[in-house]
Amino acid sequence: MSSRAIVDREQVLEALRDVQDPELHKSIVELDMVKEIQIRDGTVSVDALLTIGACPLRETIVASIEERLRSLPGVKTVQVSLGVMTPEQRQALIGKLHGGGAGAPTGAPASAGRRSSFLTAESATRVIVIASGKGGVGKSTVTVNLAAALQATGRRVGVMDADVYGFSIPRMLGVSGQPTLIDNMIIPLERDGIRVMSIGFLMPSEDEAVVWRGPMLHKTLTTFIGEVHWGDDLEYLLIDLPPGTGDVSITLAQTLPQSHMVIVTTPQVAAVKVAQRAAKMAEKVNMEVIGIVENMSGFIPAPGADPVYIFGRGGGLRLAELLGVPLLGEIPLDPAVREGSDAGVPIVLSAPESPAGRAFRAVAGRLAERVPVPAG
Amino acid sequence: MSPKMVTPTEVGSVVESALRILWSDGHLSRYGWHGLRVHCPCAACKGEWTTRRHLDPASIPSTIRPLRIERVGAYALRPVWSDGHSTGIYPFNYLRHDICECDECVARRAAAEIAEQPTARQPDRP
Repeated sequence: MSSRAIVDREQVLEALRDVQDPELHKSIVELDMVKEIQIRDGTVSVDALLTIGACPLRETIVASIEERLRSLPGVKTVQVSLGVMTPEQRQALIGKLHGGGAGAPTGAPASAGRRSSFLTAESATRVIVIASGKGGVGKSTVTVNLAAALQATGRRVGVMDADVYGFSIPRMLGVSGQPTLIDNMIIPLERDGIRVMSIGFLMPSEDEAVVWRGPMLHKTLTTFIGEVHWGDDLEYLLIDLPPGTGDVSITLAQTLPQSHMVIVTTPQVAAVKVAQRAAKMAEKVNMEVIGIVENMSGFIPAPGADPVYIFGRGGGLRLAELLGVPLLGEIPLDPAVREGSDAGVPIVLSAPESPAGRAFRAVAGRLAERVPVPAG
Repeated sequence: MSPKMVTPTEVGSVVESALRILWSDGHLSRYGWHGLRVHCPCAACKGEWTTRRHLDPASIPSTIRPLRIERVGAYALRPVWSDGHSTGIYPFNYLRHDICECDECVARRAAAEIAEQPTARQPDRP
């Protein structure tokens, strides 16, 4: 090291701690991605290791390293060269992500730690399943809007599309593409910071149909829970269930040690009985129903006009009373909600001040009150 | 709000001579391994549609033991038995209210049976 060097290795390493892997949401130092640092005069050279050669965000990583190091006093030039981890290094990294946390000096085998953080009852991640008795009540629409609303209040949110046959989350959130695979670990796609996983990302195209029997569903769901890297900093994981109380719901109930349920229904009284069955299932598997969302409530034909109750009135409230849980909100019927879902921009983002946008945000607020993330 | 399900606060070890569960309502349950296996609520043991109450106890070796007991979601336990059987998911409600072998519970169930209408509930089986 030249005597003219203005920064030392420790300072560079310290600065690099601020640089996160954009997919794994952890410091590249903590992930052992920094292989070598050389300092000569005003030039700092960094050798960094990518998890996989085809890392889609390599440019982002290089740019963040350069930007961070250039802010150090006396650093004029930053050179970044990228390598790729060996399979052993990758396994060590996966073990670290799944297991003991930052530098836990435990001798536990990596395989024993290969679990998502929310598979333990003590996890800080709040898992909320969005259920309905019958289909077509707008469960996925409610899911994406609640996710966007929670995210907008600064929460770290994930959305898991468990509606394996009827997946629609990718379109509604406007995310497509294939998730990065680091060996067996799947990195969820992201939309405005919302981490998203859907069977849709694993199909060759949106037109493809999932024609599977139960055991395949079970495997897919347990993979989504256990092998997707949701991140241990995740605060809310919203799970969009398929309608009814079938295989997928049972698998989730048997896999998640703690979860809460929100039931979506329409104002139609005939839908109440069906929605009650979702609650019945929750009771059997010891999931707490934290509230009801009534979707497709009154239609407001013009700003300021009286609402028209196309699907009747009071279904959500009736269900809430029957179950003894709060009605979290009534979402007005608004074509803009449907348009937002088709265009991949939830109305909470495109028109947060519209009546439906406000209603969704109020529901998200009550949800966060009912199921708060632990302080600290 | 649906009443909160009673949950185990402590589950004894498979190396003990019987299963011991301390519940969130303060009750202490005890189950002999053989009896627990006989009361397996899975479809193969109980039949899917039949009203068979439980397995023929004689068909189960008296030395039966679980190798381990796993927790299922937030609502049940699943023993993996030494005879290889492992499909029985025992919901907490079933364990606490229907098959507990402590003196108090045995007496309570006997009294309920005498009061005509047997209350042998079907175990929840989601």
